[in-house]
Amino acid sequence: MAMAVLRAFWNGPVGPKTTHFWGPVANGGFVVAAMADMKKPAETISGNMTTAMCLYSGALMRFAWMVQPRNYLLLACHASNEVVQLYQLSRWVNAQG
Amino acid sequence: MAASKIQALWNHPAGPKTIHFWAPTFKWGISIANVADFSKPPEKISYPQQVAVTCTGLIWSRYSTVITPKNWNLFSVNVVMAGTGIYQLARKTRHDHFSEVQVPGKE
Repeated sequence: MAMAVLRAFWNGPVGPKTTHFWGPVANGGFVVAAMADMKKPAETISGNMTTAMCLYSGALMRFAWMVQPRNYLLLACHASNEVVQLYQLSRWVNAQG
Repeated sequence: MAASKIQALWNHPAGPKTIHFWAPTFKWGISIANVADFSKPPEKISYPQQVAVTCTGLIWSRYSTVITPKNWNLFSVNVVMAGTGIYQLARKTRHDHFSEVQVPGKE
């Protein structure tokens, strides 16, 4: 039963054999990187990059919703990134004094 | 005549009224932000972030050529993104491991 579910995922239209899977996984790297950077002092945050990320993930959430086929994994990655980038942006703003 | 061409572009299924236009456009923002950061001191560069930028750029460059239709705007933005990431990683690596400068207090 579990094997059937896994096999369906493995061979599915948005599974690990397709680009619709690895694109979002690559974008998940931004989330992992930001979580690692949350522990660093706020002076190391780049205001340019964090702002660009906030705009980018906002746009990509909409893109993931509208694209054919609808890509929930991409939506989830960018929703997470939006949250963590907004948090980093708030840290950066507070550090500006 | 020119007006109808502009109108055709404006109403294009991947044109400025759609997300298929704005998503790659905002992705250019990441590369522009990175280029702006070339002038920042290497101590402020984040290894995890630049690795993520480089890997995303490389993976998406490859896949933008295998999707249908090929999206050259997406391809070019990801190539440039990977390039800026590699340059930032090189700057920080050179500073951290090959610099002659003595860092005070560092053993």
